[in-house]
Amino acid sequence: MSGRTHPPILPPQVRIKTFEPYAENLDDRMALYEASRCITCYEPPCKEACPTHIDIPEFIHRIKSGNYYGAAKVIRQSNIFGGECAYVCPVERLCEEKCVRNSLKDEPVAISLLQRFAFEKERKKGIIKFEKAPPKKKKVAVVGAGPAGLSAAYELARKGYKVTVFDSNPKAGGLMLYGILPWKASWEVAESEIKNILEYGIEFVPSKKVSDLKALLNEYGAVFIGAGTSKSAKLGIEGEDLKGVYPAQDFLYDVARHLQKKGKAPDLKGKRVAIIGGGDTAIDASMASLRLGAERVYIIYRRSLAEMPAVPYGRKQAKEEGVEFLLLSSPVRIHGKNGAVTAIECVKMALGEPDQSGRRAVTPIKGSEFKMDIDAVIVAVGQKPDQEALKSFGLKLKNGLIETDNKFATSIKGVFAGGDVVNGGETVVKATAEGKLAAESIDQFLKGGSK
Amino acid sequence: MVSKPDISVKFCGYEIENPFLLSSAPPTCTGEMIQRAFKAGWGGAVTKTIKPDKTPVYDLKNRFGRMGIEDKQLVLFENIEEVSKRPVGTWVKEIKEIKKAFPDKLLVGSLMAEPKEDDWEDLARVISEAGVDMLELNFGCPHGMPERGMGAFCGQRPELIDSLTKAAKRGSSVPVMVKLTPNVTDIAYMAKTAEQAGADATSAINTVLGLIGVNIDTFEPMPSVDGKSTFGGMSGPGVKPIGMRCVAQIAQATNIPVSGIGGISTWKDAVEYLLIGAANVQVCTAVMWRGYRIVGDLVDGLTNYLSDKGFKSVNEIIGKTLPRLTSWSKLDKDWKVVANIDKDKCIKCGVCYIGCYDGGYQAIKFEPNTGKAAEVDEEKCDACSLCYLSCPVPGCITWKRVQQK
Repeated sequence: MSGRTHPPILPPQVRIKTFEPYAENLDDRMALYEASRCITCYEPPCKEACPTHIDIPEFIHRIKSGNYYGAAKVIRQSNIFGGECAYVCPVERLCEEKCVRNSLKDEPVAISLLQRFAFEKERKKGIIKFEKAPPKKKKVAVVGAGPAGLSAAYELARKGYKVTVFDSNPKAGGLMLYGILPWKASWEVAESEIKNILEYGIEFVPSKKVSDLKALLNEYGAVFIGAGTSKSAKLGIEGEDLKGVYPAQDFLYDVARHLQKKGKAPDLKGKRVAIIGGGDTAIDASMASLRLGAERVYIIYRRSLAEMPAVPYGRKQAKEEGVEFLLLSSPVRIHGKNGAVTAIECVKMALGEPDQSGRRAVTPIKGSEFKMDIDAVIVAVGQKPDQEALKSFGLKLKNGLIETDNKFATSIKGVFAGGDVVNGGETVVKATAEGKLAAESIDQFLKGGSK
Repeated sequence: MVSKPDISVKFCGYEIENPFLLSSAPPTCTGEMIQRAFKAGWGGAVTKTIKPDKTPVYDLKNRFGRMGIEDKQLVLFENIEEVSKRPVGTWVKEIKEIKKAFPDKLLVGSLMAEPKEDDWEDLARVISEAGVDMLELNFGCPHGMPERGMGAFCGQRPELIDSLTKAAKRGSSVPVMVKLTPNVTDIAYMAKTAEQAGADATSAINTVLGLIGVNIDTFEPMPSVDGKSTFGGMSGPGVKPIGMRCVAQIAQATNIPVSGIGGISTWKDAVEYLLIGAANVQVCTAVMWRGYRIVGDLVDGLTNYLSDKGFKSVNEIIGKTLPRLTSWSKLDKDWKVVANIDKDKCIKCGVCYIGCYDGGYQAIKFEPNTGKAAEVDEEKCDACSLCYLSCPVPGCITWKRVQQK
């Protein structure tokens, strides 16, 4: 069997001129070829690796047979954000990493491309609707209209509950609309799936910040919190408050709002930008900076490429576009003049032995400090929930996240939570899966409870 | 220095430089085409079937179809094309030209006429005298022609095989080969009939009658001629097992050589046909798909195969497998083996497990996502070979001999 399909991608110099998607999808012929590469394993590791456990061999088999709508149905049955996930999932560390083809010294089946293919066929025809249970009297409130909240809302609405979703943003979607930029997934993808979810009879209350859980519990039988991680972790170094230093979450939000013509992105035209961090967010921020016209973009990361959490696909794209990687380097100070960034000072790092998590520890090399002139810094060293909001909920927290049991129940009876606000910031697919599982717990709770 | 194996074959008194002939079909439509094929390296060619000028033929638009599987375009090919529309005189002229340019290639004239002995005798006389090395009687075409008493109409009637072979033999000044149709109950009987009628060789198979498909959007049968169709002749990789069965049956039943036809695309296919007794092979569909140039690999692949196996001549492999083909009742009922899965090679895909579970003897143990390899329960394994055949890893599943208790 020959290698995997590689649909055309726009050259870097062309694609960085816009924020638009630059990778083509599979056409019917390529999809058939790619689908034919699937061994159709029995209960395979790819399915296990997917947090929503999409029956991957089944949907690929249906593409192979030409039953595209049936393929989309298999995906949607497991994952109500199957389209969005097909575009944004870090498949290199999920399903595709586990593809059995890897054991045959071959490239994995392009599961994400096939999933996009099935989704686009579905979108053209109309997103598949599933049956809904007869209406129940009980009501559920969902705080946060990101993937976790909407996934929970959808599952509960299908079970017949009356669901109201609150979000502080004007549109439902969370990071799918306010954090993920269009070259990764056109916003129309998420919007079509969100519209589909809301059509299950869910009420959406926009631009509403919820703080009083007690009041909500008076009206609703249960509350699900999927508030996400809208804030960035801090570096904790001198100069972080200078003008021109942007937390990555805020930066990506501002770029999204700018593109939506509802806000303003930082002016990076002709500027030298340093992004601190090695995750997918750092990659996103670097590619966004280029698209805003930055002249030089650096990713400064403490470890080496081998330890970098960002998926190889993203790293490759960024590198092709001209992002420069400064590895084994850690910022120690941000220099400024008149309150604005002028330079960043880093120290070289040495890799040590793997720690408990398996990641290799790093230690600064004395006397290896170096300084680079820079006009802007984007800090992408982690994300966290809005701590103000969390405090107002009055829930028991753990490391700045909402603490839950294995059934997604929080310290307040009737209040459940899932997604990034609990797991600390993972993926759309994980949040979707947690919303789905939490909905099961909420259903169990409400069946046993009174309201 | 090891000398190159000899791939020339003998056939009805001729020596052909290699066993690869073009069959009677579109690639041998004209003298110009046959000459190009010879230049490319084909050992011989059978002309597209020549018919008397008084017999009308038509070419429908369209007249081909194909069946693919998954991403493979060609598993079966269908045609409802008729024989050559060209006048006998044109063929006589071109046969002379071909033989002049390529005197050492085997040129076979394919014939078809209505089931009248005189017509066959006359046509055989004219074409053999034009200078072909052999004649091939087309008793096999299963579409169009049989409706008018030709092609498979003759091949399905032993009395016509007998009388028309005899008629052609009377007219011919060269050896006569009879091309048989697989669309009969017992092709060996038809071959014996031809042999008894004086045929010098047989060739098999002509195409297998079938229906290539239906367009499920338009409800048209394929190939569609203004919305309608008829049953046609299947060729291509999918008919190879049928062709091999027929050739083996003929080789077992007759003492005249048989030219093997049916789904030969590669030198490996050709080797298989030779092993079960074909004196040479004829190719059409693969050439229609990829051109005369495929003969380069056919010749080279066969030569390398013979050399790797230590054969000095291709003749050493002709019929080599035939004695191993016997009846079911003569196969050893006491031969016992069980499947064995190589733990280190197993990629834990579970394909063997699900096949055995739903289509076999529930003899494979497999726990998905545990990292454990699939395992055969030797007590339950009935050695049906489903797992062995469906496993995607070469050499992972092998056979283990079980001693009789």
